[in-house]
Amino acid sequence: MITRPPTATSFTSREEPVMTPALCLDDAAATLATSLTEMGFSPTFGTPCGILAPLYERLENGSALQTVSREDNAVGIAAGAAMAGRSPVVMMQNSGLGQSVNALASLVVPYEIPMLLIVSLRGIQPDTTQENLAMGRLTEPLLSDLGIPAERLDAERLTTQLEWAREIVCVQRKTAALLVPPTLFGWQA
Amino acid sequence: MNKTSAILEIVEETAGRPVVFTTGYSCRIAQDIADRPGHFYMTGSMGLAASVGTGIAMATRRPTVVVDGDGSLLMNPAGLITAGAMPDLGLVHVVLDDGSYASTGGQAAPSARTDLAAWARASGYAQVLRADDPDALGAVLREALADCSSPVFVHCVLTDQDTAVPPRIRGDLGDHQRRFSDELQATMGIPA
Repeated sequence: MITRPPTATSFTSREEPVMTPALCLDDAAATLATSLTEMGFSPTFGTPCGILAPLYERLENGSALQTVSREDNAVGIAAGAAMAGRSPVVMMQNSGLGQSVNALASLVVPYEIPMLLIVSLRGIQPDTTQENLAMGRLTEPLLSDLGIPAERLDAERLTTQLEWAREIVCVQRKTAALLVPPTLFGWQA
Repeated sequence: MNKTSAILEIVEETAGRPVVFTTGYSCRIAQDIADRPGHFYMTGSMGLAASVGTGIAMATRRPTVVVDGDGSLLMNPAGLITAGAMPDLGLVHVVLDDGSYASTGGQAAPSARTDLAAWARASGYAQVLRADDPDALGAVLREALADCSSPVFVHCVLTDQDTAVPPRIRGDLGDHQRRFSDELQATMGIPA
């Protein structure tokens, strides 16, 4: 269960919520969705993932998200938008990171194209589904070897971590990844 | 028509416009004909030229040309689905179809029974055109670019061999990307 620390959200003007688990989890997705937009990240492309669903739906409802049928195509489209001066986001499951390795290794990295990757971590506790374990192990080393800095999101440090991503992508014009563990938005096995 | 004569015609018709050239010989031939800042030479990521072009067209709202190959399109036809899903996308997607993988030794592409134009039509492209010689290609491009407000697919059938192929893309790819990005933003008239 995730508890909501006082510093983890920018929704201070809202009516103080009752600290139920559902609201806490909802707030993490709300904080991310609102902050991404406020920080100037756009456009956002994604391929659906169960772990990311609460964030995905918030962005989709705000018409801020375009679904792309394959993750590497989403990386390609984001690359085009980035070269036009935008700061795009690509949301994907880590299985899709596997699908996107060549797009990252031969396009994003050598051409130094900026974008924010939001990648869920299937195959990380409490997700013990066998088909996701290898990619769960590979995700962080893979990004590290690609030279893409990555942060595993922590409900207590969301604002700091988003600011870290904004600095890299929007200011330094490089690529960064925010990793979403299964528990962040309340995914259950 | 061979790849060189097709790209010569494309370069002639696309001055001042963003053009994405796919991996393999297409970007090498284009750089040799005219190395313009509006050219993006995608030397890797085979199959993603249409996706990169889609992102450019979406973000700039300017007509964007993609020079793709049959092998590239066969590798990742999902790019057709995204472009076809956007009825307002100003994308001219040219596929130079020589039925082979030219830059890896000319192996036959497994597309003898595949109708690439039908794929584009079924994915939602507003227009699907065909060009069999450079004059026809020029005419099709002029028409498509004159009022480019929805995705257009141009199936360009190549029948002749290229005599010689120019060398690989020169220079640092990061610098190449920034030159293209600067050009896109300058021609958009809007700072980043």
